[in-house]
Amino acid sequence: MSEEMKADLDLDLKGLLCPMPMVKVSQNIASVPVGGTIRAVATDPGSMADIPAWAKSTGNEVISAEKVDGEFVFMVKRLK
Amino acid sequence: METQQMTTLAGVLDKKMNRQLKQYLDICARCAICKDACHQYVATQDFKYLPARRAELIRQIYKKYFTKTGEFVPALYEARDPDENLLDELYESAYACTGCRRCMYYCPFSIDTAWILSVAKAILIAAGKGNEMLGQLADAALFKSDNFEMFKDVIVDGFKDIELQVKELTGDPDAEIPVDKQGADILYVALAGAHSILPAAVIFHEAKASWTLSYFEAANYGYFFGDAVKARQIADRFMDEAKRLGVKEVVITECGHAYRVAEIFHEAWSGEKHSFKVRHILEVIDEYITDGRITVRPDAITEPVTYHDPCQVGRNGGIFEQPRNIVCALASDFRDMTPNREQQWCCGGGGGLVAISEMDEFRLKSGTIKAEQIKATGARIIASPCENCRLQMEGLNDSMELGIEVKAIMDLVLEAMPLAGSSAKVTPTD
Amino acid sequence: METFLYITAVYGVYLGIGVFVIGMAWRTYQWATTPKSPVRLGMFPKPKTGAARVLKMLKDTLIAPQSARIEPLMWAFAFAFHVAALGAFVGHGRLIHEFTPLVNWLGEDGMATFAAWSGGTAGILMLAAVVFWIARRTFGPFKQLSVPEDYLLLALLFGVIIMGDHMRFVGTIHAATYREWFQSLLVFKPEIPDDILRSTTGWSLGAHMLFTDLFLIYFPFSKLVHAIGAFSANLVRSE
Repeated sequence: MSEEMKADLDLDLKGLLCPMPMVKVSQNIASVPVGGTIRAVATDPGSMADIPAWAKSTGNEVISAEKVDGEFVFMVKRLK
Repeated sequence: METQQMTTLAGVLDKKMNRQLKQYLDICARCAICKDACHQYVATQDFKYLPARRAELIRQIYKKYFTKTGEFVPALYEARDPDENLLDELYESAYACTGCRRCMYYCPFSIDTAWILSVAKAILIAAGKGNEMLGQLADAALFKSDNFEMFKDVIVDGFKDIELQVKELTGDPDAEIPVDKQGADILYVALAGAHSILPAAVIFHEAKASWTLSYFEAANYGYFFGDAVKARQIADRFMDEAKRLGVKEVVITECGHAYRVAEIFHEAWSGEKHSFKVRHILEVIDEYITDGRITVRPDAITEPVTYHDPCQVGRNGGIFEQPRNIVCALASDFRDMTPNREQQWCCGGGGGLVAISEMDEFRLKSGTIKAEQIKATGARIIASPCENCRLQMEGLNDSMELGIEVKAIMDLVLEAMPLAGSSAKVTPTD
Repeated sequence: METFLYITAVYGVYLGIGVFVIGMAWRTYQWATTPKSPVRLGMFPKPKTGAARVLKMLKDTLIAPQSARIEPLMWAFAFAFHVAALGAFVGHGRLIHEFTPLVNWLGEDGMATFAAWSGGTAGILMLAAVVFWIARRTFGPFKQLSVPEDYLLLALLFGVIIMGDHMRFVGTIHAATYREWFQSLLVFKPEIPDDILRSTTGWSLGAHMLFTDLFLIYFPFSKLVHAIGAFSANLVRSE
């Protein structure tokens, strides 16, 4: 969160229970251009493993995954 | 499409062939008694959702490729090649099915349409037309276990966060969420979400159970996707863990399909008998209450409560009474839906549908019957031990303004347990 | 007429029964030798003992109580049809041997009356069910779901039943005469009695047998193999 990077899409995934945060990121990835990013905020700790695992297995990239004030903030880059 | 490719696709059917499937394909009389059993057909009146029609698409391939009469007189059976058109129809019919098997219940020959559709999905996957989202979720789950070292710390950190809440709720600074504990009695397999871990951890703590939490989630998108190999590998993650830790039983969280996969499918898939029991968490909680290992206040919930039998837990899993026992032990006004138990209507959220956004509108529409059933009880709280059911019923609650609260049974138990912790009112999903 | 009757009521019968018996045996053999799925496909609640399983299977197959609940009218016609068909099948046993104890009890006239009533009722019930099924398949989702096989079978059944009913209600030839013909088939010295050859009912018999032969020949290759398959499929329900 240090450097304010503007994402192509902001996803509010607060309150969603795993695996739904991963599902929502996956559903929305096609709506950003290749090279574009999604900033997703989730509250379920399971997402810290789920979203990176989804990104790796689908060939996308998690630029950052941080815990900020009990929330989990992800920057996900669409690579293909 | 090339003839060669169509023959290969038909070959998938041959590979999946077994006695039950062959009989289902041979004996269906197309009487269509199943039409009013399917919530999707009843809600949409769309032919492609009629159970016998869904199975008929596979039968058309079977007749053409695997029966002499169908080969010589295809017109008699409307036998077809698995061409693009048929595959498109198959996709719509197969991936929409929630696998509730209500049609099988009413069929005079007990034809398992969902089983036939599992072959449909295998054919679609072989043609590169499997549902993308479900495939991705299955791959993500396997990626996590194949590269476990990469995720282990993050997963354990997540557990530690939840552990703090367990300490707070139980008022016991030594309360813990044991992980990787050799020789524990129970391996508890939760979902990735904290909501499925916290209440169980508190209940196990209060019951002084010897337990350990699995690193892996019970959810199995390989099963919904229709890839039997991936489905098995996903379940293997915690089954191997159970073997390694030498537990007496694997306890599956409040999730429908994961329970059926673990209890009914896994032994058959792996060809190996489990050295442990597999139980649903509600069987365990019911036992704890009966044996007095945990106590619940009998009037903890005074608002009317109803219970939805998830298809994979009830009709397809055999757990009908334990959840009702639990709810009746803590709620003063329990009202069953009509029909219920083995005749219960599917809520519409199964089969992985909640993860497929293109199906959102259709899915909610298919839940009309369930919404009406819930309304008729006048209940304010609906409890159900399946994540997909709860997601669907929350969707129905919003779209049809039912004004209900959707809860897991464990949530209710937690509310009803006298706990020493200061913030016992905190509900786990907050 | 003689040639026609020899084709339908003699050679056709041998062929029909032969194809039916071998075909059904072959179909059953195929099922039996295809490996079972290791996955248990049963649903709950399940009977606990093996005997209870078999009882439930018989109840599900012979009475189909679940189907009765969801579509009572269809169930009623289907149930009536199957019971009547069984009754008609048993009644045709008179062609092999007269039901002597029954005749002794009812007397010759009593037996004729009983046969007329029971055979007539069965014939009407079966006809009603087939007409209902044909009507049901002409509209809505039932029409969309139907394939030519469904209509072919119904047409054959309609032919069998209507000609059978014609012989029962209009024909003047009695069971004893038909028995002569059928027993000649059993000893492989086929002969068609003059009474049949001289009567117009002979044509009814010929048509009845033509439809019956075709029905028997097609049976093992059709969905009607549920006559055997329904039992084992319903047993899977509680495995």
